Amino acid sequence: MPSAKEILRKFTELKTLPHVAIKVTQLVNDDRSTMQDFEEIIRLDPVLVTRLLRLVNSPYFGLSQKVESISKAVVFAGMKQLRNLVAVEGLRGLFKGEDADFSAPKLWMHSATVAILSGMIAKRIFGKEGEDVFLAGIIHDIGLIVENQIAGEALREACRAYREGKGTLIECERSAIGADHAEVGYLLAKEWGLPQEVLGSIKSHHLGKQVKSVSSTGSILQLAEFMAGKMQYWAIPGPIEPLPPELSQHVKEKVADYKIIIRDLPGEMAKAKELYESDE
Amino acid sequence: MTEPTFDAIFDDLIDADAELQSFLAILDALLPEASMLLVSESGAVLDGARPLAVALPVREKLVREAKATDGFITGKADNGTRCHAISLAKFSAVLVISCTASPEDDWEPGSAIASLLRNTLELALYRQEREMLVADHEQSVRQISILQQQHGKLIEDNYRQYRLNQEREKEYARTLESEIAKQTAELREANVRLEEISRLKSDFLANMSHELRTPMNAIIGFSELLSETPLAEEQLEYARTITQSATSLLTLINDILDLAKIEAGKLELEHQPFDLAEMIDNVVAMFKIPAREKGVVVASTIDSRIPKRIMGDCNRLRQILINLAGNAMKFTEQGGVDIKVAYERSAAGRIVSRFSVRDSGIGIPADRVEAIFEKFTQADGSTTRKYGGTGLGLAICLQLVELMGGHLAVESELGKGSTFFFVIPLEEAPAEIISLQERKEAYREKTGRGGKILLVEDNAVNQRLAGILITREGYEIEVASDGTEALEHLRHQAFDLVLMDVQMPNMDGMEATRRIRAIEADSALRQDYVGLRALKQPLGIVGLTAHARKEDETACYEAGMNGFLTKPIIKAKLTMILGEMMPGISSPKGNDPS
Repeated sequence: MPSAKEILRKFTELKTLPHVAIKVTQLVNDDRSTMQDFEEIIRLDPVLVTRLLRLVNSPYFGLSQKVESISKAVVFAGMKQLRNLVAVEGLRGLFKGEDADFSAPKLWMHSATVAILSGMIAKRIFGKEGEDVFLAGIIHDIGLIVENQIAGEALREACRAYREGKGTLIECERSAIGADHAEVGYLLAKEWGLPQEVLGSIKSHHLGKQVKSVSSTGSILQLAEFMAGKMQYWAIPGPIEPLPPELSQHVKEKVADYKIIIRDLPGEMAKAKELYESDE
Repeated sequence: MTEPTFDAIFDDLIDADAELQSFLAILDALLPEASMLLVSESGAVLDGARPLAVALPVREKLVREAKATDGFITGKADNGTRCHAISLAKFSAVLVISCTASPEDDWEPGSAIASLLRNTLELALYRQEREMLVADHEQSVRQISILQQQHGKLIEDNYRQYRLNQEREKEYARTLESEIAKQTAELREANVRLEEISRLKSDFLANMSHELRTPMNAIIGFSELLSETPLAEEQLEYARTITQSATSLLTLINDILDLAKIEAGKLELEHQPFDLAEMIDNVVAMFKIPAREKGVVVASTIDSRIPKRIMGDCNRLRQILINLAGNAMKFTEQGGVDIKVAYERSAAGRIVSRFSVRDSGIGIPADRVEAIFEKFTQADGSTTRKYGGTGLGLAICLQLVELMGGHLAVESELGKGSTFFFVIPLEEAPAEIISLQERKEAYREKTGRGGKILLVEDNAVNQRLAGILITREGYEIEVASDGTEALEHLRHQAFDLVLMDVQMPNMDGMEATRRIRAIEADSALRQDYVGLRALKQPLGIVGLTAHARKEDETACYEAGMNGFLTKPIIKAKLTMILGEMMPGISSPKGNDPS
């Protein structure tokens, strides 16, 4: 059975990560980079430029004036937003194709929901910047897409086993494929050069126990994953894993907060449409 | 998909009674003297801080009745006090409360106690809802603070990037500066190269003038000589054609060289005294014969206020007038050509004069007036075919007039004629300057001796040509082929004049002239030279050179020559200068064909 690394190697032989996504990620990680550097890279990709302008002018940013220049849009969006936008652009195209056992478009909706929920929790409950957790949300299930490409039949087998209650999804993947999507996704994000917090959260999002403090990217991602699963934003039907007890306790203490988040989620999803909806 | 609710999502961790508990706690705090209990939808009993004991049958009855009505239902607690039950629709629960401080019979709907309790219940419910509002508010505050942080970061980033850009701009300015410096250096170098090329071109021009004039010398000279030999009519015609063609070719060569010199800025005007009237008469005389042949009249007038002798470049002024008069003659079939010098005004010690050449010729169309001053252009293409000419003449005149401080212009009427005119300042010649020519005249008068000429010339063709011309003029001739030979001749013979070629091998004309002048100045040495010892005046030496430039002439005079003749030797010019310089025992013979 192939290891996670082998699966990823086979995948990257088929699909290369968009150059622009890697470059932009490097720029975000570099303190000396300037908005001009971002602008120069984004300018090269007309699709990205259109996306960026549409995003900046969408309700998600809620600006009072229309932004028409790339340089302005770059400044308004900020480095991490740009990175996320580029990541979304790079990933969106991969979530294609569906059948009874596995639906990539549904997985994309799930990822978008988790990303937006994670962002909301980070910002509204912990007062943290939501960009890193958003990215973690968008990318956390990329491992499934990789497996779908490389070991589609085995993945479907795992999905069926999971649906029939033969174990957690991770367990079913491991026995059918030989690796799980958390591990594969982690490796891919590592290759991409994403921040350590994001990498860790991808690896642990099915761990079933609390990883770090409640406000960590990992915990937020677990919470959002759980909530999105409960909301049926989930591509693979099956039993939803319970929240780690520490996180349940946290929710109990913040009932009002979470009620508000759940109340506001549909609105936020609508506002962020530019971020995740496909053009088709 | 239906809107998700908190309860649906967190169903596992929801404690169904948690909300009731919190409500009970709030109510407990609001009513410190009351004891109470809550019966939930499922029938569970939640006790308040101060428990109220109500027996099960009583409680069940109270709950049942309370749910059926809107108001309070009264019952009895276990301790005998009265208690009251009310349904809480929000929780699907029933509250049983006993308040010892309240009057027993005051719980009717609308009573003060009932209203108070109702309001208290509302307050407790509101307080619970307020938690949400507070949480909502707190979330907003957090989000605002993130936005503020991001805003701060944006400003920081902007400033940082502004600094970075400034540095980049400075760097750019530095590169720009060095780039400009580099280009300037390159341009300077190119300029130096161009100046060098220009200098080489001028030198080439000077050499060309020599190279072109030397063969022309032979062609014109020998064709003239040929015309004077006994020839058949046809042969004579051929010989004359050669002369005419060669002469016009020489004119063209001179024009081109002149124009090139002017454009190269190499042309310098002389500033010598000359007789204006005499010069004009010369010009008129030149056109007498062709005018007679065409049946037109050439005339000239000079305003009496213009001084007789003026300073300037006689030859160039003559060139202009000959050119204008020549054109006028060319295009005039009847009537006449009128050369006029009119007085305009006096300014700063100069006499501003208007020179004009008027003809009664074909005139120039208004739209061609500008074009005729252009090089190689005439009034219209057919003009060239009909009247000939190169179109260089006017371009040269225009430039010469400008060098003299004037501007050449034309007034013309088609079919009536044209007037070319220019206004230049003239300066009266000071009385004490006597021209070279006048000195020659004085000298000739004083000596009055015979005619033997020494020709110093290395080129055999030129020796023969000049020899024939001079002999024909009636002078004796001796030939020396370089400066050394010339000195040898002077040692043994006396001569009236030396025609000295400038460019020669061994000893050139300049050096030979300087030696002769040195011998003349040394009374002891002079005795060894038959040709020099008897002379009361310096020997007349006329330079011959193909270089027609002003500096060549000046160099001749500086070497000690007292005359200057350009090659090719034109018979008329030779005759003139011999007439001036020779003591004059023989007057020039034969017809001057020019």
